[in-house]
Amino acid sequence: MQPYAYPLAVLLFPGGLFALVLGLALKGVDRRLAARLQRRVGPPLAQPFFDLVKLAFKRTMVPDIASQPVFLGAPLVGAATMMLAAAMVPIAGVYTPDPALGNLLVLLYLLAIPAVVLMIAGSASGSPFGAIGFSREMALMLAYEGPLVLVVAAIAVRVGHGQGGWASFSLTEIVAYQARHGAFLFDPVMWPALLAFLAFYPANLGIIPFDIPEAETEVLEGPLLEYSGPALGLFKVMSALKSVVVLSLGIALFFPTAPSGVAGLAVQLCKLLLLMLVGVTLVRVSCGRMRIDQAFRFFLKWPLALSLASLVAVVVI
Amino acid sequence: MTRFIQTLTDQAKRLATRSPWIYRINAGSCNGCDVECATTACIPRYDVERLGCQYCGSPRHADIVLITGPLTARIKDDVLRVFAEIPEPKVTVAVGVCPISGGIFRESYAVHAPMNQFIPIDVNVPGCPPRPQAIIEGVAEAIAIWRARL
Ligand code: SF4
Repeated sequence: MQPYAYPLAVLLFPGGLFALVLGLALKGVDRRLAARLQRRVGPPLAQPFFDLVKLAFKRTMVPDIASQPVFLGAPLVGAATMMLAAAMVPIAGVYTPDPALGNLLVLLYLLAIPAVVLMIAGSASGSPFGAIGFSREMALMLAYEGPLVLVVAAIAVRVGHGQGGWASFSLTEIVAYQARHGAFLFDPVMWPALLAFLAFYPANLGIIPFDIPEAETEVLEGPLLEYSGPALGLFKVMSALKSVVVLSLGIALFFPTAPSGVAGLAVQLCKLLLLMLVGVTLVRVSCGRMRIDQAFRFFLKWPLALSLASLVAVVVI
Repeated sequence: MTRFIQTLTDQAKRLATRSPWIYRINAGSCNGCDVECATTACIPRYDVERLGCQYCGSPRHADIVLITGPLTARIKDDVLRVFAEIPEPKVTVAVGVCPISGGIFRESYAVHAPMNQFIPIDVNVPGCPPRPQAIIEGVAEAIAIWRARL
């Protein structure tokens, strides 16, 4: 790999700009569809872009009691990590990340960072709502990280066994394995893990049944309460990037089969859209928000059991 | 070059005005105006999200402020404090007749109407309470003012 390929992958495609535009467009489609499902007209598809431009023109205010470097640094760290993470997820037939960028384990750590950044931001802002958001975010994170790790472990062991080894944490190999043996979507052993993943990603993206840390009506957007202007915009950038990372991770883990070249990219976009509409929009408009204890118990009951079942099955078979 | 940058910022500002976020302050209103504001926001028929509006819970995210009520003595300091927390550029819309004159409370010793002694009001939407259509028109006017301020 040429030296300039890394910055290109992180800043332009598939990380950075590409992922940002994609994430904002997905968000626009989501908002429009949600409005239609509620029999409203809904915002224009480009609304998230307008919001971002608007935020760039506003002033950033830092509360007196906030710690300024942490308060302003947190969103930067969050957005930068997600840019990097977007460059680490392969798109079948289109993009293969360089192994030097890191494997699935590194990606898992990077995926935890937005939640940590939100916690830090909430507590640095000095607002009591931020502190409540902090504690909720932490509880939720403890609940959903466990199942995610088990899902990833199940897949890694499956691929590792297939290659005669023990476990493989390389996303490229996981995609290649599925290209040879068929996608995990059609593998009954993996179905419990798939269900667990389907429960994980709404929680990670902070959408309605699990948007407990940022609940507007309860804690006034919690950690984001004190943010304004470009700093808030960076958080929007972070969440747009994160949605692309998490959704394309799901595709890479369970259903990466696609033709190569431009057709592969189109297939990838269709899959992302489908995941977004079914897994995010439909869930969002048809559910109410859970309480934090309900969500915690839910994750420790179902997704954990399901992902554990998959892992055990994979190890035993 | 400077002209190019100028047109670019103009375009960006034009896009930016399509995303006004609305924040509501209740300065001691009888709740009539608040119900009308909520109607404007929540009922599919008036769907303000199609204009890019979004009601936000935090004053720091707000662009357009809807203030209702006659500014009672009890709440005055808190309203002023919240108002100061809204980042510039912002536009204020006073909803109802209360902020203009005190409305049915005008003779009371407990209110500080008219409100524009304390807060710069850009748009008045009179009525007791005003209709949702009038509130939307007020917001549309506020967006025009906001564009000039960006
Ligand atoms: S204008 Fe009328 S409806 Fe509105 S707050 Fe005043 S008294 Fe209530």
